[in-house]
Amino acid sequence: MSDYLWDKGGDPDPEIERLERLLGQFAWSGDVRLQADGDRASNAGRYVGILLLAACLALVVGGLTLAFRFHPAVPSWQVTTTAGQSSLPVGGVLETGAREQASFNVADIGTVRVEPNTRLRLLDTRAGNHRLELLRGTMHATIWAPPNQFFVETPSTLAVDLGCAYTLTVDDEGTGLVSVLVGWVGFKWRDRESFIPAGSACATRPRIGPGTPYNERVSPQYREALSTIDFTPGSPGVSGALTLVLGESTERDEVTLWHLLSRVPASDRDRVFDRLAMLVAPPAGVTRDGIRGGDRKMLDLWWDALGLGSTSLWRTWSRQWTDNSK
Amino acid sequence: MVHGVVLARTSHTDVDDLVQDVFVTALERLKDLREPAAFGGWIATIARHRATDHTRRQPLTEELVNDVPSPKQGDRLEALAILDAIKSLPEAYNETLVLRLVEGMTGAEIAERTGLTPSSVRVNLHRGMKLLREKLA
Repeated sequence: MSDYLWDKGGDPDPEIERLERLLGQFAWSGDVRLQADGDRASNAGRYVGILLLAACLALVVGGLTLAFRFHPAVPSWQVTTTAGQSSLPVGGVLETGAREQASFNVADIGTVRVEPNTRLRLLDTRAGNHRLELLRGTMHATIWAPPNQFFVETPSTLAVDLGCAYTLTVDDEGTGLVSVLVGWVGFKWRDRESFIPAGSACATRPRIGPGTPYNERVSPQYREALSTIDFTPGSPGVSGALTLVLGESTERDEVTLWHLLSRVPASDRDRVFDRLAMLVAPPAGVTRDGIRGGDRKMLDLWWDALGLGSTSLWRTWSRQWTDNSK
Repeated sequence: MVHGVVLARTSHTDVDDLVQDVFVTALERLKDLREPAAFGGWIATIARHRATDHTRRQPLTEELVNDVPSPKQGDRLEALAILDAIKSLPEAYNETLVLRLVEGMTGAEIAERTGLTPSSVRVNLHRGMKLLREKLA
C-alpha cells in the first residue's frame, strides 16, 4: 500500500511536507569543499575524509559481496592483452611490448591494467595475500578488498594497498612514483614509511625508500625541493629546499609537513613544527621538545589532529603488512 | 544513513565529526564483518553505539539564539524544536523518523540500509509520526 509517509506516494500530507521542509536543513549534504580558500583545513579534510572513507567502504563491501557470491580463490591469473589471453602463474613474468597493454583480475579482489613497456612478476596469490613485483613500467591498480591484501614490491619500496585506486611507475633505475586516485597507499622500506592519500603522489628511490608525499597540485619547484630533502640528505641544498617547501605549504600540504617532522634533521624540526602549527595547532600532549626528539606518540597525536583518521588505523595496518612481508 | 542514525541521538553540531569516527571505526573493524549483505545493519549498529557513547559523555547544552529571531532564524528555531521532539520519542521511532523526515529516505530505503524489516520500519514510521503529532499539537 502506498502512502506519503512510507514512500512519498499517494496524496501528500501537508504536515509531513512541512516537517520535511523544516528538517531538511539538517540532512547530510555530501558537500565536498576541497581546497576552498579560507576554509579551515579540518572542515575540508573532514568532508573529504568522510567521502573517501565511505567510498572505500562501499568498494570494499561491494567487492566482498561479489567475492562471496561468485568466486573461490584462483591459483593463477588470467591476463588479457592485445594479443589475446594467457595465464600468469606464480613466479611467472608478464612483459608488455612498446604498443601493448594488458589487464588482469587480482584474484577476486581487484583489477590491474598494465601500460606498454612494463615488466612485472606474480610473486604470490592466496587468500588475503596477493603480491606482485613491478620491475619496470606502469601499472594501474583498483582494489576493492579490505586494506592490506594487495602488495606490490618495487626495487625501492613495498607498496601496500590501503584501498582503493592508484598508479605505480618504476623506471629502469628502480626509481618509483605512486599517484593515488582514491583511498590510501602505504609505502614501506625498512623503517621508513609514507602514507599517501588520494590526490597525492610520492616518489621512491633505491636504497633510500619512500620520499615525502605531496599534493599533486604543488609546483615543480616544490617537488624538486622535496626530492632534495628526501634523497640527498646532508647535502648543502637541504636547508634552502626546506625553506621553499615551508614557504609554499598551505592547508592542503598538512600531510607533507607531518611527514617532514620526522624526516628533516633535528636542527630543522623547529621550522617544520612552527609551519605545521600555523595550519593545525599541536594538540594537547604534543610539545616542541618531543617532536624535536622524534617522539612517535606525539607524532601520532598530531596526525590524529589532521582529521584524516586515527593513527591506530594506520598502525594496525602497518603491523599487519610488516607481519605479512616477513 | 549513518548521518541520520547519529543525528537521531546527538546534537546536530557534533554530527559530522561523529560520522567520520563511525567510518574510521568501520574500516578498523571491517575484518569482523562476516556477511557483506549485513553491512547496513552492521554499520548502523556502530553508528548507534558511537552516538550513544558520545551523548553520555557530553554535558547538556543548548543552542543560543537572539531574543528576536529573524524569519530564517524562526524556521531554524522551530526545526530545532521539532528535532528535539523527535529525539524525545522512543529510540525505535526517533531514528526511523529522522531518516525519513531529515534525510529524505523512503521506508523501503530505510529498511534496506539499516537491516530492519520493511514491516518494522512501516510500524515505526506510523507510530512515531502519531506520537510526534501529539507532541507538536
